Amino acid sequence: MSILWLSLGFGLVTASILALSSVGLSLQFGVTNYINFAYGAFLSLGMLLTWTLTRPLHLPFWLGAALTIPICGLVAVVVDRVVLEPFVRRGGNLLYLLIVTFGLSLILDNIMQAAWGVGFFRFAVGQGADLHLGPFQFTVAQLVIIGVAAAVMVGVHLLLTRTRLGKAMRAMSDNPALARVSGIDTKRVTMSTWFLSGCLAGAAGIALALNIVSFQTTSGDDLLFVVFAAVILGGIGQTYGAMLGALVIGVVTEVSAVYVGSAYKSDVAFLILVVVLLVRPQGLIPALGKA
Amino acid sequence: MSPILVYLATLVVYFFIYNIFGFGLNIQFGYAGILDFAFITFMAVGGYLYGAAALPHETPGSQIYYVLGLSWSFPLALLLGILGAGAVGALVGLIALKRLRSDYLAIVTLASGTLIYGVIGNFTRLFDGWEGLMGVPQPFTGALNLNANTFVLFFVLVSGVIMAILWFFANRLYRSPLGRAMRAVREDIDVAEAYGKNAFKLRMTAMVIGCIYAGIGGALTIAFITALAPAGWSTGETFVIWALLLIGGRGNNLGAVVGSFLVAVLFTEATRYLPAIGGNPNLIPDLRNIVIGVLLIVTLRFRPQGLVPEPKTNFFAVPLTSRVLRRVRHEEVVGA
Amino acid sequence: MPEATPVDRGTPILQLDQVVRSFGGVRAVDGCSFSIDRGSLTALIGPNGAGKSTVVNLVAGALKPDAGSIVYGGVDITGVVSHRIAGRGLIRTFQLSREFARMTVLENLVVVARGQSGESLFNALLRPRLCRREDRVLVERAIDVLDRFGLAAQRDMYAGDLSGGQKRLVELARAVMSEPELLILDEPMAGVNPALIDLLGGHIESLCRNGITVVMVEHNLEIVERICDHVVVMALGRTLATGVMSDLRSNSEVVRAYLGERLDEPTVR
Ligand SMILES: Nc1ncnc2c1ncn2[C@@H]1O[C@H](COP(=O)(O)OP(=O)(O)O)[C@@H](O)[C@H]1O
Ligand SMILES: [Mg+2]
Repeated sequence: MSILWLSLGFGLVTASILALSSVGLSLQFGVTNYINFAYGAFLSLGMLLTWTLTRPLHLPFWLGAALTIPICGLVAVVVDRVVLEPFVRRGGNLLYLLIVTFGLSLILDNIMQAAWGVGFFRFAVGQGADLHLGPFQFTVAQLVIIGVAAAVMVGVHLLLTRTRLGKAMRAMSDNPALARVSGIDTKRVTMSTWFLSGCLAGAAGIALALNIVSFQTTSGDDLLFVVFAAVILGGIGQTYGAMLGALVIGVVTEVSAVYVGSAYKSDVAFLILVVVLLVRPQGLIPALGKA
Repeated sequence: MSPILVYLATLVVYFFIYNIFGFGLNIQFGYAGILDFAFITFMAVGGYLYGAAALPHETPGSQIYYVLGLSWSFPLALLLGILGAGAVGALVGLIALKRLRSDYLAIVTLASGTLIYGVIGNFTRLFDGWEGLMGVPQPFTGALNLNANTFVLFFVLVSGVIMAILWFFANRLYRSPLGRAMRAVREDIDVAEAYGKNAFKLRMTAMVIGCIYAGIGGALTIAFITALAPAGWSTGETFVIWALLLIGGRGNNLGAVVGSFLVAVLFTEATRYLPAIGGNPNLIPDLRNIVIGVLLIVTLRFRPQGLVPEPKTNFFAVPLTSRVLRRVRHEEVVGA
Repeated sequence: MPEATPVDRGTPILQLDQVVRSFGGVRAVDGCSFSIDRGSLTALIGPNGAGKSTVVNLVAGALKPDAGSIVYGGVDITGVVSHRIAGRGLIRTFQLSREFARMTVLENLVVVARGQSGESLFNALLRPRLCRREDRVLVERAIDVLDRFGLAAQRDMYAGDLSGGQKRLVELARAVMSEPELLILDEPMAGVNPALIDLLGGHIESLCRNGITVVMVEHNLEIVERICDHVVVMALGRTLATGVMSDLRSNSEVVRAYLGERLDEPTVR
């Protein structure tokens, strides 16, 4: 029984990491309507930048992380402006944008590999002491991850419901043509969305690195399918759906790891992805108004 | 025999094999619009099955594990590779092609590729895990009494003939009513369905044929270099094939040939012997991948049709009855 | 022009019974029933958002109804997938022109011909002469159709490079090429100039004369009155009335829902 509680706890941690990353991917999809296959590279960038800032450059961990997150956001904006927007503006086939983001993921991966090398990295901060909370057991780092993710989810909710930017993002997500004619500055909203998406990816990367302790330049890509599974399960482009999907996928993969072994966690996520695509491709919360 | 000649012959074999990959991906993407981001996986399936069938039974206690071990001849092992790659392709297609959204399709192929990569790497008993298969016997060497050098020359012939046959059938498919229907699905899947085309079946056909091409290329690869390990078919390799097809010109098999010459042979070989920079042996391959990626994106941006664009279908290559011909000539004269 | 085939005019070819389809909370089609007579030229009219395009999608199998039944040619086709329905001779066009952009105009026509034996893998790869023989016939027929639609000069252009009006013509020519029994046109004249409207109207009339049953979704009541023999009026996902135009003008409900408004102005719901 205790192993089940333990894995349920791990599930919450994984769900938190997934929630950060899924919401970032989903927000961007909602506004721009294409999937970013280079998203995993942004997770890796978050880990590696924080590592560089805190290990060779000796910044305190919180400062390194705080600097990394907006840098990831800026990189995402630059990538969008320089590489992706020209294709969006040209219009036409969505296929080519997908190929471009796929190519971008390889470019970014190889840039990171050339810059950081192929070895394993770890942060200076460890996991901290084990804490017992009722039947659960978490490390300090894991509790921080859960806390930060929960705070960010509340923040995203407030952003979407209370701010002009958030309302504009939702409008663009619901009906881009209508949003454009009703005077929304779509360029600014798109840029802000990419910035947010990059920030969330960076934060998710740092959280992932804290949780898995030792990481590589490819660690972000290793999580990508699990993120896709969460996003599609929740209903693609649906921010709250992504949170729900992250929770389900996080808990299910960790609990099932007790039975099938932890090497097959991502295979379990893949299985869920396949079942969802075959049975309910619109996800748990289907996007209204989008065919 | 001169080592230069053997080296060049080796390059020609690679060129031919990459042509086959280019045709296969072209059938999937250029004909039917399928975003297959796991193309290299099907190459691996064909290659491993060929290798495992061609190898002798595994030696007990050797710490090298693999299935089959049947000492099969080239044609039989090749056939197994074809069937395996086609079957795995059909399985992935069954999931990926049911749903019409192209981004889901891309996700499923990419995820399937990653999954199969992990399975082959982790299940050591299948194809010796991350070590991969080694020492696959080179075909025909015994029967034709070939040495290491003459084998390379002979293999130019083998791969060349197979490549030519596959090119011929790829072109025939393109021009056929079947290929035409595939292109209609590529252009607009809903409209094609509305005119009675079974898009699932058409895309499935393209998917499986493309995977068979990949499998044949994989079998030829392992037969030629005698080894195959997961490191040789990472996602980056799929990207090389995408780059060669899109830079050469999607929808056009000649484009695939031009692309495979420029990207897979010329560029890769030109950078192969650059000295390692700063003592980092991975830097050159990393830079190579970056350049290929940038080239691909720049091509899509400024010359989306590729170097050798897809030609317009000219139906007047189809002999028409005299009445139509007469009218066509008449129009040419009066300039209607 | 193929010979006019004698058709069994007057018997229903398509019957919708209490068809329902909603998107999320929106009931786009809410208990829609009507029947189309064989050989007729029927207009499906109604304000924007009335559910006309959704009905077309439901009949053609692009969407599945939540409830109700659709019978075509005496066979229940409710929920049958679109390519099967098309295979039975029910062809539809889309509200926005959707040509096969990177195929030539001639190819756009040839590809839609039904029952091509070269679409089987075996024939495609191993019987090229059979394919060529069939293609020759199809190309001839396509050239005839293109001539009729005044598109002979555009034959070898990419369909994506045509003007908006030409695309509308190709759309209709392509539908003709597929030899439909029932042709459903979703706003075939949207966004084209008055001269082209007359031209398209003439073509549609002559299709009907040649034995094809035509249903067209249309906003332009003038052309509807001129060429259509029946009208189905939809509003809020339901059939409001059916009949001939002159009767409907005196139907106060119809007038209120639709005819009273400026016709070229989209109705905001
Ligand atoms: N795919 C869809 N998803 C959500 N709502 C839809 C979809 N298609 C149509 N609708 C809604 O259904 C209603 C009817 O639309 P439609 O059939 O296009 O009307 P019409 O063709 O008569 O103008 C509209 O309110 C529209 O917003
Ligand atoms: Mg409509």
